[in-house]
Amino acid sequence: MRFPSRLLAANIWFALFAWLAYLVVITLVTVGIGVWGELNESVWEKAVQLTRWYALFVGVALVTEFLPLFIAHGQSRRQFGFQAAVTIAIFAPFLSALLVISFLLESLLYGLTGWTWALGQAHLFSAPTQVPMIFLEYTVMFVGWLVAGVFVSSAFYRWQGGGLLAIVPAVAIVLFVQATIGDKTPLPFISLRIGFDVADSALSAVLAAVGAFVVGLGLTWLIIRDVPLRNKVS
Amino acid sequence: MRIDIDNLKVAYGETVAIDSLSLRLDTGKIYGLLGRNGAGKTSLLSVLAGFRRHSGGTVLADDSPIFENWLTTREISLIRDAGETVNLGTVEDALYFAEDVRPRWDAAYAQELIDLFKLDRKKNVKSMSKGQRSAVGVVVGLASRAPLTMFDESYLGMDAPSRQAFYDALLADFMAHPRTIILSTHLIEEVSSLFEEVVIIDKGRLVVHSPADELLAMGSAVTGPAEQVEEFTRDLTVLGSKQLGPTRSVMVYGPLDHAEARKAGLETGPIAMQELFIHLTGGPAS
Repeated sequence: MRFPSRLLAANIWFALFAWLAYLVVITLVTVGIGVWGELNESVWEKAVQLTRWYALFVGVALVTEFLPLFIAHGQSRRQFGFQAAVTIAIFAPFLSALLVISFLLESLLYGLTGWTWALGQAHLFSAPTQVPMIFLEYTVMFVGWLVAGVFVSSAFYRWQGGGLLAIVPAVAIVLFVQATIGDKTPLPFISLRIGFDVADSALSAVLAAVGAFVVGLGLTWLIIRDVPLRNKVS
Repeated sequence: MRIDIDNLKVAYGETVAIDSLSLRLDTGKIYGLLGRNGAGKTSLLSVLAGFRRHSGGTVLADDSPIFENWLTTREISLIRDAGETVNLGTVEDALYFAEDVRPRWDAAYAQELIDLFKLDRKKNVKSMSKGQRSAVGVVVGLASRAPLTMFDESYLGMDAPSRQAFYDALLADFMAHPRTIILSTHLIEEVSSLFEEVVIIDKGRLVVHSPADELLAMGSAVTGPAEQVEEFTRDLTVLGSKQLGPTRSVMVYGPLDHAEARKAGLETGPIAMQELFIHLTGGPAS
């Protein structure tokens, strides 16, 4: 099996530029709130929400864009499955590292301006300088969302409308992973506490991420292992 | 790359796209794959490229199974209109991935073709015209130098001068790097001079597999006075006929004694591959 160097490089390169743009936007928003409003919480804590949707999008693109590309270039589905798994295993901590830097830069900004840094909800970390725990929390989160994206898009790619059924287990994966890192209500417009009631701890977070990785990608493999390439442009 | 197909069946649920098709394609030839819409051409090529699993029979490439056998499929390239190999970011991006996974990729040749088709490496492929997208597919297909290279109507979006440039490039590269090439097309007359052998399928079944010159030799037009033509062709396989006043022209399929025809005061001549194709697959669409 080959290491997915170009698949990873392409995604990392794009994510890096997207993050730089997002960093600028969030910094401007932070300064705006600090100057014209009342700033007493971390803005990056809220900004993380968009990054997990980005991870979901990357997971979807892995199947809709890269699976046909790799098979059309003579790679097997098994090879692609391996490369997608390696990509997720490396891309999730990479995205998390970008968030670590974001929190450190935010901490610096708050320190320089005298604004109060606080978190709005429970996390595995309590301060922006707790780098290992921030890194762990968001690695776990990105693993869950990437896996959910890959799983759902595999189902849609294979069964089209029938892929709707895959949304339920995908949501379960996301809720389960999020529940271990303090976020009991990770989905928009749903304020009810529908997540899993799992204790927030580094160990449960790691176990949840490993479980999501193994179960999610295992189910994905069952879907793509003999999936035909579509004849028409999707 | 040699292809051996035995009793192939491809079904989509209840619909059978290919049924009981057996075929052997030898290495180092250019094949024309002809068939009407829905004849099963794309299904056949998809199976040959490992894009889909067949429902029955066996398909071997150089004696190896194809589906999920990457040692074989990495030597096979199928370029389709769907654009799997190119619809990913810019032209540069498409080449970036092709170069990585294609063992015989020729970057210098890819650049030559990009110059030939006047493509912009930095341009997003999805934002290109259909003709330009087709040209990017042609670049990836030819520069991959796969021992089995197939184009499934993927160059039809190109304008006539670009298509001619493609045919010239294909032939020149085939001469320099012989390999098995399959061209699936509806532009039969335009491409037929490239074909060494022709495979015609209809309704999922093999109709003809023959060297192109032998296929053409099987078709003749017999022209002359209507009664004499009628008499001469009575026991022959008649594909079609036209009449203008007292003169009748009949297209026949099968061996023809041209000297005998001339003795009977009739003229004989070749007929176009497209005419043969139309009649071998059931006649003109009504």
